[in-house]
Amino acid sequence: MQELLSSVVMLIGAILIVIAMIGTVRFPDVFCRAHALGKGLTFGLMVLLIGLWLDPYSEVSGLKIVAAIFFQFVTLPVASHLLSRLSYEKNLPRYRNPTSSPKE
Amino acid sequence: MSDLLFQIALILMGVAMLLGFYRMAKGPTVVDRILAFDAVVLCTVGLTALLSRWWQSEFFIELILIVSSLGFFGTVAFVFFLQESLPYGGDEKPHEKEEES
Repeated sequence: MQELLSSVVMLIGAILIVIAMIGTVRFPDVFCRAHALGKGLTFGLMVLLIGLWLDPYSEVSGLKIVAAIFFQFVTLPVASHLLSRLSYEKNLPRYRNPTSSPKE
Repeated sequence: MSDLLFQIALILMGVAMLLGFYRMAKGPTVVDRILAFDAVVLCTVGLTALLSRWWQSEFFIELILIVSSLGFFGTVAFVFFLQESLPYGGDEKPHEKEEES
């Protein structure tokens, strides 16, 4: 029963990661892509590691999985923020809504 | 039932990694490629977690820590390198190119 729960949680994590990667492919802009990666992939990996923790037969100690989850939670938004800040400072081409009227 | 769900999860992680490779090959600017590289490294971390459950082994959790830290430090090194060398406004104009094609 707990094995089935672990499989379901890992499948939810994999679906979240696929949704984040589809966002990385289909969004039109560097900023949108960094947004999709920094939120979706962080949450997907956390759910996936929690699913690994729930597995009854694995002999992985829980503290290492907590350390891995904490490391993902710290470093992935930092990397996404660094890339967004770099592309903002260098004024990379960004997507503008063609239907909205320009303010300038 | 449990094995079927687990294999679906493995296939989905493979699809996610292929999507990351597509963005890395196509990405209009350099920052897109670095972002896609980071995403592929994190998909590798997810696959390592899945295989650690598949093989019932406890040694892959250190590999998760090491690979994710390698991806993070690679991204940080690229960003600090590009802050000095990337020209203002980028070297390509992706949206104009997409309109032409």
